[in-house]
Amino acid sequence: MDTHIAEPWRAGRSLATELRAVLMIARKEWMIFRRYPSWVIALFIWPVLMPLAYIFTAQALGGPGGESLTRFQQLTGTRDYAAFIVLGSILWMWLNMTLWDVGMYLRNEQMHGTLESNWLCPTWRVSLILGGALTKLLVSVAFILISLLEFRVLLGVHLLAGNVGLALLALLLTIPIVHGIGIAFASLVLRFKEANAMVFLVRGIFMIFCGITFPVAVLPGWMQVIAAVLPLTYAIHAVRAALLANAGWAELSADLLVLGAYAIAAPLLGYILFGIVERGARRRGDLGQY
Amino acid sequence: MASSAPVLEFPPPVPADVLAAHLYTPSRAEQLIVDVHDLRKVFVKRRSAPDASMWQRLALRAQRTDERVAVAGVSFGIAEGEIFGLLGPNGAGKTTTIRMLSTLLQPSAGRATINGYDLASQPDMVRRNLGAVLTGERSIYWKLSARENLEYFAALYHLPPAIARRRVAELLERLDLASRANDPVEGYSSGMKQRVAIAKALLANPPVVLLDEPTIGLDPQSARNLRELILEIKREGRTVLLTTHYMEEADLLCDRVGIIDLGKIIALDTPAALKRSIRQLDVMQLEVEAFDEALMPELEALPGVQQSAVRYRDDERVWSLALHSTDSRAVLPRAIALITAHSGRIRHMAVAEPSLEDVFIALTGKQLRD
Repeated sequence: MDTHIAEPWRAGRSLATELRAVLMIARKEWMIFRRYPSWVIALFIWPVLMPLAYIFTAQALGGPGGESLTRFQQLTGTRDYAAFIVLGSILWMWLNMTLWDVGMYLRNEQMHGTLESNWLCPTWRVSLILGGALTKLLVSVAFILISLLEFRVLLGVHLLAGNVGLALLALLLTIPIVHGIGIAFASLVLRFKEANAMVFLVRGIFMIFCGITFPVAVLPGWMQVIAAVLPLTYAIHAVRAALLANAGWAELSADLLVLGAYAIAAPLLGYILFGIVERGARRRGDLGQY
Repeated sequence: MASSAPVLEFPPPVPADVLAAHLYTPSRAEQLIVDVHDLRKVFVKRRSAPDASMWQRLALRAQRTDERVAVAGVSFGIAEGEIFGLLGPNGAGKTTTIRMLSTLLQPSAGRATINGYDLASQPDMVRRNLGAVLTGERSIYWKLSARENLEYFAALYHLPPAIARRRVAELLERLDLASRANDPVEGYSSGMKQRVAIAKALLANPPVVLLDEPTIGLDPQSARNLRELILEIKREGRTVLLTTHYMEEADLLCDRVGIIDLGKIIALDTPAALKRSIRQLDVMQLEVEAFDEALMPELEALPGVQQSAVRYRDDERVWSLALHSTDSRAVLPRAIALITAHSGRIRHMAVAEPSLEDVFIALTGKQLRD
């Protein structure tokens, strides 16, 4: 046999080669994302549509001069219902995007027929997912920044006046949580090959229980118990408190500690579930089936 | 298409002496780059009984287990630099075998090594030694260009950037893709897409290349070009394992062929040796219009007929009959008389050299494309 066929990269991997693979996957995802014109809608139009409906509802209920907002202020610590709704909506839409994008990432590869091509490569499975998620994360950051800018221009909502540092910390802790939920979701979609029903269920649960457009305190007691289990409840509460009520470490430490615990547990559980699903798919032979 | 005669659905068992003459047992003395021992795959499916209640379905109760044996223990070895073909009809177990060897599917039993690396315990090293095209043109990104596809997969194969750039440029040139290397793949022809998929498989210079039905869906010219490319890959010193249900392709490309049916390798040898094994038989091929399939038992009962098969060809709207006999001079007039007496019109007939398809018919009583 020709000696040229034996080449050095067959000897093993390094962190650098895996990192290069992750960046290349992210680049590929970005190139594909850009080649579908709908990205303009995803980034510029959708962020303002959903919150506007709730903001105008709140405006109607609050009365012309906001006479009916006393109760709202007692529960939330702010009369700025627009900022309150915008923050909750942005975080929810971020989760929503992650569920669709990360959750559907492997499924899309499966439907296009490219999942097996990726699986045939010696790249770590974790790198394959991280690379896909990296682009989604960057798009999410752009989405959040564009949302903030649009609401500042359209409604005069100013969200960067409070404790921006702690709000950013809460957001940073939320990134691995949302990623972990996305990976778990991707695994389930890979297994059951159906995303729509699950996306509607999961995002509906988070929407109702996490207080996206209203304070959790208005929920019945049993619903508040469920809300207390969901990590997004703490993320939304911490970000709102930091930005709208200028809350400091003393007020937010409990929220941040819970988020820290979830930030470790969620990706761990997500990847464990993914490992189980991947082994099952190799056993059943349905990795490439769509 | 009309239904097959029962005799074709339940092929006669292969005579033990025929089987023994063709089955291959890898010898440890040979330098085998692909070494497969008793590989087996059973798909297990649990499903609720049809009469199970909603609650029983939700609680996963009243389930029954269906087992389907896709590969019933195959063994073969491939020497370095050899093109080895798995030839068989759809559903015979070819793709399942190749997917197990590519690490995408976990075998139920058996073992295999690729370039000395064990499939079960060293899957990562197996992947480093393999290039595979399993889903053809669907295995690449259509929204990316050929160059972007290859750069992407080069990173996933851990090629250093400088080597990756050189390798991508070489492959684009060699596979005649350079002039459209920066166009999105979605605008390529099927043949070009398949060439990108093969370039992807060759990126890491693998010693072993797996190709699952590489020419399926290609026009005749593209298929011919691709076959030449496969021969080039062999000339580079690589080992090729391909699956096909085109006997001409297996005959043309393969140094050795494993004929697979119902999950088992039923014969394994060089194409020439396989055809020699039935050379004592005359192979009569007839194309008949308005053929009555119910005639098959009568044709098989003609004195001297040893094996037969029939298939309706949609494209030509004609029945294709194959009759194997030791004495075609005696059988042919009787067969013609029988067919024409039942309003069949013979469009073409020939006594031909045995092909790999005839070997398959001799062993199984079925045609490859049944």
